[in-house]
Amino acid sequence: MKELSRAQIRDLMGEVLKNQGKALPADDAADLREVGFRSLDFSELALRVEDATGEELNFDAPGLRRIATVGDVLDFLVELQRQ
Amino acid sequence: MSVETAAQTPVHPAGADNRIVVDGATLTWRDLPELTLPEPVAALAHSARYALAAARHHAVHGTELLLSTASRVDAAMRTELRAAGFAVTELGAPTAGDPTAPAARAAESGRLWLLTSGSTGRPKRVGHTLESLTTVRGQQPARTWLCPYAPGTYAWWQVVTLSLTQPGQHLVVVEPDQLDDWPALAAEHGVDAASGTPTFWRRALHRDPAGLARVPLRQLTLGGEPVDQTILDRLREVFPAARISWIYASSEVGAAIVVHDGRAGFPVDWLDRAAPGRPTIGVRDGELVITSPYHGAGLDGPVRTGDRAQVSGDRVLITGRLDADEINVGGSKVSAGVVRDVLTAHPRVAWARVTGRRAPLLGHMVVAEVVPTGTASSPDEATPDEATLVRWCADQLPEYAVPRRIRVLTEIPVKETLKSDV
Repeated sequence: MKELSRAQIRDLMGEVLKNQGKALPADDAADLREVGFRSLDFSELALRVEDATGEELNFDAPGLRRIATVGDVLDFLVELQRQ
Repeated sequence: MSVETAAQTPVHPAGADNRIVVDGATLTWRDLPELTLPEPVAALAHSARYALAAARHHAVHGTELLLSTASRVDAAMRTELRAAGFAVTELGAPTAGDPTAPAARAAESGRLWLLTSGSTGRPKRVGHTLESLTTVRGQQPARTWLCPYAPGTYAWWQVVTLSLTQPGQHLVVVEPDQLDDWPALAAEHGVDAASGTPTFWRRALHRDPAGLARVPLRQLTLGGEPVDQTILDRLREVFPAARISWIYASSEVGAAIVVHDGRAGFPVDWLDRAAPGRPTIGVRDGELVITSPYHGAGLDGPVRTGDRAQVSGDRVLITGRLDADEINVGGSKVSAGVVRDVLTAHPRVAWARVTGRRAPLLGHMVVAEVVPTGTASSPDEATPDEATLVRWCADQLPEYAVPRRIRVLTEIPVKETLKSDV
């Protein structure tokens, strides 16, 4: 299975935000609410990861966790690809 | 007692001398192959010529007939048809198939059977008669009709019964392998009336608008799928003087709504208006409900169509199948048809399909496929990209209804039914 790196997922996240007229800060600690990255954006990013890898992500696998920062999103999706 | 025996000369239908162009030949209904059919028979046609011959055979002899194409009827359906007492026979097959097993019950004279398109599961049999399928009556102007539909479908019977029953209604039949280039065939044979799905028309506009404009059309009819304002307007640009109609019809309720004013939807004051011999149209819980005199056997009374209808201003719009139209995005309900209409209204979009795709957090997200305008051979340079189309939708739709993933295709997909989504 083709797997995207954290940096590649970050690029995709930047595209999602750019299409919404927003910018992705360089700091992984940036708060998602301040960035304006919401559930629709998160879902779109997940679909972009699926499209890039050709594999469906299994969102049921990992337990619930707090996703509050840009870094949380990237970590979560990196981990999800390995489930 | 003396019994006067009627001469056994077959009585041909009133349209028997109409011209038919099929498979490169120009002939009349009388010139079609003479068939010998058992009955009740499920006749699976391998060519348009044999399908027309079976229709004429029914018109002359009243043979109980279910007509379809061989490709639409799989092995399980053949077994089902035999179990329902039909002799199943292949018409015009290139090689001899299984011998026809005899029918297993007495025939019901005059009965015609249609197989539904199966958009909601297995195709179902719906009983009709030539009479109930003939919805165009009265004196019609002479026309040469294009027949692009798959044999045995409701839409096919509409065109076929018109030509069988009315002198002056000629047919030019499009075989499946001619579907991409039908405008050339139609122009060659002077087709001035054509009926097709919105997908059929979009493909023609997309592939070769100049070729389409050379067909001397005076009547254009759309049906079988939701008809949006954009496709009506684009056809109007190409055919400013023609009558452009859309029709809501199905195997179950027959031809129930016919609109000629060039606008999508139908007037809201047609709702719940009862008139003798006319269908009564209603909307119940967002579903189109029709009571029609042209209904299939056993379907009298109100029929829930499974199609979603919504009132918008002074019109009632039919947006798509209820089970496929609604997308639930995190608890917010989105009509795929409404999103599709926004996309196809973009000046650079020729066709769009909108669906729900499984997504985290929200359950589903709205996604789309589009075909940009410009013919397949010379695509426009400025093809709209995903971000442009997303912004276009965002300007007109709630945030949750905006398709976030939009895939660009080069060709409009089409099925044998001439629809995109079935």
